[in-house]
Amino acid sequence: MNASQRRPSVEIFSMLFGIVYLTCFYMDWAPFRYYPDPRRFHINVTPQDGPAILWYGWVTAATAVSAVVALLVPRLLAERLRPGWAWIVPLIIVILMLIYERRWFV
Amino acid sequence: MIVALLIVHGLLAVALLGAITHQAWSVVPRRGGAGSLSFAERFRSVDSSAYATAIVVLFVVTAIGGALLYPQYRLDVRTALEDLQLRSANGVFEIKEHLVAIGLGLLPTYWLFWKTHLAPEQTAARRYLTWLLAFIVWWSFLVGHVLNNIKGLLP
Repeated sequence: MNASQRRPSVEIFSMLFGIVYLTCFYMDWAPFRYYPDPRRFHINVTPQDGPAILWYGWVTAATAVSAVVALLVPRLLAERLRPGWAWIVPLIIVILMLIYERRWFV
Repeated sequence: MIVALLIVHGLLAVALLGAITHQAWSVVPRRGGAGSLSFAERFRSVDSSAYATAIVVLFVVTAIGGALLYPQYRLDVRTALEDLQLRSANGVFEIKEHLVAIGLGLLPTYWLFWKTHLAPEQTAARRYLTWLLAFIVWWSFLVGHVLNNIKGLLP
């Protein structure tokens, strides 16, 4: 992939996606929650509606934040990134997630 | 309706698993000479780049299917697992949902690396991206099927 073919903003999107997703998950924050029992979306926490699904909100937040940042980063700056980071950063995210999720198995 | 969706989700996952496994195997560096007719060699001797778009589409469609099934899982299956005190079963599913999300984020870069002409030093990045995606698909497939059949698997 030469310089003209390379799309560093796409690589930035993929790198940031996992970081934003994992941060939202770790902070237990989502822009919205889905309550499957009453089949309703809520911005606020409403425990009386039963168990909530935050996953949709985490994916939405990761998509939106990563896309905006990827578009805002100047191309010259983005091109300094080595292509290897495109898989190293997601791999680190996966490893961190697995370490955190050990809590289910102890 | 939910059963039909679950079956379609499972079938799409099988197609995705086959495609990503072919591709992941095809990028393993070769050691022996070319021309071997072993099963493994034939399995890997595919046009790897032809799989990329199909894998992206299958991954997204399968993930959407999983997202549609998720509310039912959250209400029925997860509650049952909690009642049975199967913490590890809940844990492997939690990992599955995180892996699928991370995989969704990887797809644009994965596709770009397969669809543009790479410099030789960038093929390693493409290989590791493919293997990471293959790990995500294999984990999701196995966990999905084990949890779907967990009542039959328990003594």
